[in-house]
Amino acid sequence: MKGLLTTVRELFRYRGQEGQLAWMGHRLSGLGTVLFFTFHVIDTSWAFFWPEGYVHALKLYKHPLFLLGEMVLVLAVLYHAINGLRVVLMDFFPELWQYQRRLTIGGFVLVGLLYTPAFLIMGAHMLQGLDIL
Amino acid sequence: MTMKVTMRIRRFDPEKDAKPYWAEYTLEAVDPTDRVLDLLHQVRGRFDGSLAFRRSCAHGVCGSDAMRINGVNRLACKVLVNTIVKGDEGKIQVEPLLGLPVIKDLVVDMEPFFENYRSVMPYFVNDEPPPARERIQTPEQRTRFDDPTKCILCAACTTSCPSFWANGTYVGPAAIVQAHRFIFDSRDRAARDRLAVLSQENGVWRCRTIFNCTTACPRDIKVTQVIAEVKNAISRGRAD
Ligand code: FES
Repeated sequence: MKGLLTTVRELFRYRGQEGQLAWMGHRLSGLGTVLFFTFHVIDTSWAFFWPEGYVHALKLYKHPLFLLGEMVLVLAVLYHAINGLRVVLMDFFPELWQYQRRLTIGGFVLVGLLYTPAFLIMGAHMLQGLDIL
Repeated sequence: MTMKVTMRIRRFDPEKDAKPYWAEYTLEAVDPTDRVLDLLHQVRGRFDGSLAFRRSCAHGVCGSDAMRINGVNRLACKVLVNTIVKGDEGKIQVEPLLGLPVIKDLVVDMEPFFENYRSVMPYFVNDEPPPARERIQTPEQRTRFDDPTKCILCAACTTSCPSFWANGTYVGPAAIVQAHRFIFDSRDRAARDRLAVLSQENGVWRCRTIFNCTTACPRDIKVTQVIAEVKNAISRGRAD
């Protein structure tokens, strides 16, 4: 536990470069996705064990707050996948180390590009829920 | 031209202090081409003779003065003041390496580090009778492990690694670099044993390819590449 706290604190104090940032993002997005899956498994099981609860949950998920959460989820999954592929690539082809900076930043950019359409579509959907559009 | 530099140093004396604390010392006339190590000497000479830090060669060879300088692991004897302080006034923050127990001020206990180092058999193993003259090696075979031979065991890489901060039993980048130096040596015969050690729970797989070690290495060893080569050797079951 002490190691964990130290690590979290020092991640903000140690001036690592994009590699450290990419890894922090990887951990955050990974943990976030696992958290989502846990809830998702539980609420889906309600379809069988507690049908009323399931219907209620589905209604709740239409709430703009949950739609916002969904947008974050898509970003997390996308980032985790692309950054993960980059790490796999670097591990299998060690000589790529010299491009690590460019590959990492390239990964960030790629995530941004791929996320933009999802962001626009889901964002519009959420704003509709808020009756703004 | 001289500059005014404030040294912000993380201090801790187990005999006096309950907790580590930051102390500041302002040096009025610093030569821009002084090294951080020189400034530590000045602080010790002018302000507090009890300031503890290690140094030996003062020329980036022995690896005893690795510390965290302005947030990154460096050798104090290799950092010129004018590369980290711009203009004629500034601050330099110095603290001990992270992940190893602090003995006093900037001096850390290196024993856990060396314990990890010893675990990878960092020595030449070959029981075959030696040939009449020498064990011949081609220049290509020699080049194969050239990079890791530059390691000076300063611990800058290992203590820059978040995996090591979180779990001190991870052998760490430096030990893997040392292992690589022998694993890929065509004359050595213990590659299998070293790969077996490194494929365990606290071996290479704790490396998350974060690259902090590569940027921290004062000898410019491509540490992450070296680790990835060992990972590949383990997954292929052979070193070549
Ligand atoms: S004092 Fe020897 S490496 Fe710096």
